[in-house]
Amino acid sequence: MNKLLASACALLFSAALAFPGTALSQTDPGVRGGPINGQPGATQSSPLPLASVNANAPTGILEFFDNGLGRFQEQEVVSGGTNNGLGPRFNLNSCSGCHAQPAVGGSGPANNPEFQVITQAIASGSTNTLPSFITAHGPTVEVRFPFFTNSNGSPNKNAPNGGVEDIFTVSGRADAGNCSLQQPNFQQAQQNNNLIFRTPTPTFGAGLIENIDESTLLANQQAQAANNFGIGGAFNRNGNDGTIARFGWKAQNKSLLLFAAEAYNVEMGITNEIFSQERPLPQEEQGAGLPASCLNLSGHGYPEDATNFTVASNSDQAAQNAQVPSDIVLFAEFMRLLAPPVPSTNAPGGAQSISNGFALFKEIGCSTCHTPAIRSTQPSNITASLGNVTVKAYSDFEIHHMGSGLADNVSQGGAGGDQFRTAPLWGLGQRIFFLHDGRTTNLLGAIADHRSNGSEATQVAENFASLSAGQQQEVLNFLRSL
Amino acid sequence: MIPLLLRLLVFVAASLLVDAAAHGAAQPGPVPAGLILVKGAWSSAAGTSTSLPEDGTISNGRYDNAYFGLEYAVGSDWTQRYEGPPPSDSGYYVLAQIEPKDSALAATTGHILIAAQDLFFSLAPVHSAPELIGYFQQHLSAEYRVERAPTRVRIANRDFVRLDYVANVAGLHWHVLATEIRCHVVQFVFTGSSPKSMERLVASMNTMIQPGGSAPLCLKDFATPATVLERVDPVFSEPRFNPVPVRIVIDKEGRVKHIHFLSAFPEQAKSIEEALLQWRFKPHLLDGQPVEVETGLLFGRSARPSTAALH
Repeated sequence: MNKLLASACALLFSAALAFPGTALSQTDPGVRGGPINGQPGATQSSPLPLASVNANAPTGILEFFDNGLGRFQEQEVVSGGTNNGLGPRFNLNSCSGCHAQPAVGGSGPANNPEFQVITQAIASGSTNTLPSFITAHGPTVEVRFPFFTNSNGSPNKNAPNGGVEDIFTVSGRADAGNCSLQQPNFQQAQQNNNLIFRTPTPTFGAGLIENIDESTLLANQQAQAANNFGIGGAFNRNGNDGTIARFGWKAQNKSLLLFAAEAYNVEMGITNEIFSQERPLPQEEQGAGLPASCLNLSGHGYPEDATNFTVASNSDQAAQNAQVPSDIVLFAEFMRLLAPPVPSTNAPGGAQSISNGFALFKEIGCSTCHTPAIRSTQPSNITASLGNVTVKAYSDFEIHHMGSGLADNVSQGGAGGDQFRTAPLWGLGQRIFFLHDGRTTNLLGAIADHRSNGSEATQVAENFASLSAGQQQEVLNFLRSL
Repeated sequence: MIPLLLRLLVFVAASLLVDAAAHGAAQPGPVPAGLILVKGAWSSAAGTSTSLPEDGTISNGRYDNAYFGLEYAVGSDWTQRYEGPPPSDSGYYVLAQIEPKDSALAATTGHILIAAQDLFFSLAPVHSAPELIGYFQQHLSAEYRVERAPTRVRIANRDFVRLDYVANVAGLHWHVLATEIRCHVVQFVFTGSSPKSMERLVASMNTMIQPGGSAPLCLKDFATPATVLERVDPVFSEPRFNPVPVRIVIDKEGRVKHIHFLSAFPEQAKSIEEALLQWRFKPHLLDGQPVEVETGLLFGRSARPSTAALH
């Protein structure tokens, strides 16, 4: 053996030691380039609506979509401006700041807007500090404390919490009067391993998800019942009417309207016609609530977002009509009417690789939960493109036990601390952060994290690990084509 | 006087303890990483202590399950790296996930899933191992090719149904061997790229110890108006809408002696336990002698149109 060959062998051996169990070549291709959402004509600030909405059928619907898009991007202030009601606690001052990748309505962007909240004076730097886990290019997150704390600050494992701990307060802003609030003690929570993160879920195609009948989901569950991958699954049922809830990381929200209203209240502190009171932190709620000096900061009473009974007259009747609903109604309408992402047929890796990757995705069991196509939506009384269509969301909308490695110890509705909704994968190719807490930007890491003690996905992750490097690459190419 | 004072002190002390428990006594220390502390609907048991389907163990390459009476020695170079999830609300169990200790070998040697489907609560409309395997084959997608149609085989003096299939692109093979034990279909699923290695694993099943004969008689839909002499319905404190599958063992006198909640929230399990302990069944006779019976009851919301729910 000559020296060159020996050196090459030694290098390969070293590489194998450095990456045991993995071949040398498979890599996540990263965020796919090309048209936003695979839709020519879409821009970051102007995602495309469904085809029938784009055709303005029924008449006036396009105006509602556009108005909703505008409101989704509005910057809220506390008082004295055009859009009031921010706070007293909040994570950001607009929907589109967090739901930004690859376009308005999407998931967290590359540049974390929370990192800029103080520098842009959305929160006062004299009364707010940036927690260490909010980084310039890290995931955009909301924070939850799984447990309430004892008087000495240690987590009380007998007292589950799980509510959102808003990062910022309006205290110190010129438009926030004398409201004085402290931020939650993130440092202490971090030291006690008592905080978890959630990233924004993308909303493209959300109207199709909302319009799937119960029977269709139940039939899909039954069809997957006899699998050889160790997968069970259950539905998170709405506590009021018993039907299947389907939005949010734990499928805890029943409808887009509820989802929008809750986010408006929780993430931005804006009361509305579904959540009519200012929201204290969970620990404040157990005490005296918010101080009077932090209530009605807008000066207009509650709810801060309400139906607009009087609107400016407009010769365009549709434009006038679209001004009437409250923000949450038009947020929901905007999300409902957003077109689903269009997968690429040839990028990355070429058509054959993507096709093989899709076959492998199904063969090794990913599709048992990440159902490629659910047929079909209910007839729609809103617009034609919502009705009788196949939903290629790559989700069964069930909740599954994902094991101790992913568990966040937060219970929502019927979902326990280790159960999560099968994350829809449409649009995955242009997402940056993966898993509920955005812990990774690498699909290989996301797949590996599917296996841990108590996970239903361990067998499938094992099957992925059993593939050759070339086959794994094809799966990754397929995923990034979505 | 002294006994009265003593009783008062005991009462006060007990009250303080109960109060501390109710308000979550301080537990020092951070939240432990990698533990599922906040559980949703989960499995639990009440009544006479007995083995549960999910209670199998793996030690030194051998899987033991007292409930199913199984002892399966794969080999000392095999292990379980990750435990399975809790039973599903449709009665599906991941009993064991066994793989080579040397993970680099897994791709060729394969890995083993031992699973069970409770025939009382199956989402699929099946009543036996052949029906379950047949149902699975019917739903096998075009990505797979059947290499061995469902075939009856005899292993370790038990009847199994065997189905082999291969994934066309991945080249991964599946050998599935299913048998019925205590009204469950227990499935041994071998997955790997080398049929020869997998065949050796199948052959190793021949040394498996077969189920003992002391288990209660299992009967589907045993609880009927004709057999339930006294019945008290559980009262749930809040609507949950989840199906709550429950396995019970009824003693020879017709009392419920053991309750296994496959998937229930704690308050549901408590209410059902309180109710079931008041039930009385007509003793079941076999050859004129009363015998213990194991059966299933479904409380809460039924997700299975083919199965009649009690509520």
